[in-house]
Amino acid sequence: MKRDALVAVSFLLAFVVISYAVTVENVLGLGSGKLRPLGEFYLGHSFAPGGMTSHSPEVVTAIVWNYRGFDTLFETFVFFLAIIGTLSILRLTGDEERIVKGMERAEPHRHMDLIVRVITRLVLLMIIAISASIALHGHLTPGGGFQGGSAMAVAALLLFAVFSKFTLERRGLTLGHTLGAYAAGIAVILITAYVPLALGGRFLQINLLPGEMGLFNLDVGEYLAVSFGFLSVFLILGVSEWIFKRVLRGEVR
Amino acid sequence: MSAGFLMFYSVLVLFGMVLLGIYGVVTRSNMIKKIIMLNVMGDAINMLFIIIGYRLVYPVFPPIYEGHLSFEEFLRTAVDPVPQALVLTAVVIGMAMNILLSAYVIQIYRLYGTADVRDIAQLRRGGR
Repeated sequence: MKRDALVAVSFLLAFVVISYAVTVENVLGLGSGKLRPLGEFYLGHSFAPGGMTSHSPEVVTAIVWNYRGFDTLFETFVFFLAIIGTLSILRLTGDEERIVKGMERAEPHRHMDLIVRVITRLVLLMIIAISASIALHGHLTPGGGFQGGSAMAVAALLLFAVFSKFTLERRGLTLGHTLGAYAAGIAVILITAYVPLALGGRFLQINLLPGEMGLFNLDVGEYLAVSFGFLSVFLILGVSEWIFKRVLRGEVR
Repeated sequence: MSAGFLMFYSVLVLFGMVLLGIYGVVTRSNMIKKIIMLNVMGDAINMLFIIIGYRLVYPVFPPIYEGHLSFEEFLRTAVDPVPQALVLTAVVIGMAMNILLSAYVIQIYRLYGTADVRDIAQLRRGGR
């Protein structure tokens, strides 16, 4: 208990020091209304009329894929590692997978009532349309591949809550298919990153591609990767807890 | 109440949330609670970045050049795009990290029957 009090008091002290620095000394430079030089450079150069252009009126996308392309590319790989790590922690061997399939088939089929299902279908349509529009217009309006993919992940969660995992699998969204779509997204990104090499440029120099094609492709690839990466993790997390536990402890053969 | 006051106030609240998040991660022993507090901290930091990028000028626009303004006007009124680009990266990494952490905790709970770090340490010392 004494240690807890000590921790709490030290955090309060830190808060007091930070408040002093922020309000009295203004270390963050808040409230000046001026741009920082780096931000001014990006705003002034990413779509300047007459000058050099990054083909994106939206400066955030220009920074993410054009000025800091390597950052975003390796961030995609970090995301890939996280998804693959999750899948490998929760992996099952072939035999176990067959047992899980059998036990799931024996389970009674449950879903929510008619009103919820119909409304969910309508909402789902809207979510998918909006997420696609966020992703495909990423270089023109606020948005991009990540944001669209995250919105799509919400749609997947909604499907899991209202229908069940089995409905998705019956419609063809099995783990193999979603992982395939995820790989397709990564492939689109990698191909778009490598094509400028063939055109005599450098890796990720997407300005060599005609018009906005580079940004568009990268946005679409990221959209596919994020939405299907999340969906495949949800699919493996959607196995019923008691089934997973019994298989894990080797109680069924 | 001026906009400047609101800005300083929200920055202070967010710093408080960051410290609260660290406090929760340090003192709670349940791993789910640790993850929740980690999220509180991460979201507060992201919000802080966005607020630092905001500009206190009157007509303030997103950093998208649509041609509705002259270019000089755009430079004078658009907010700083750099923090937004950084936060965009941080949010996705935060989500991926969340997924990985929750997968670990779920698997630990399935194997040990508890998500409490003290109990798990005891189980590992006592058993086997």
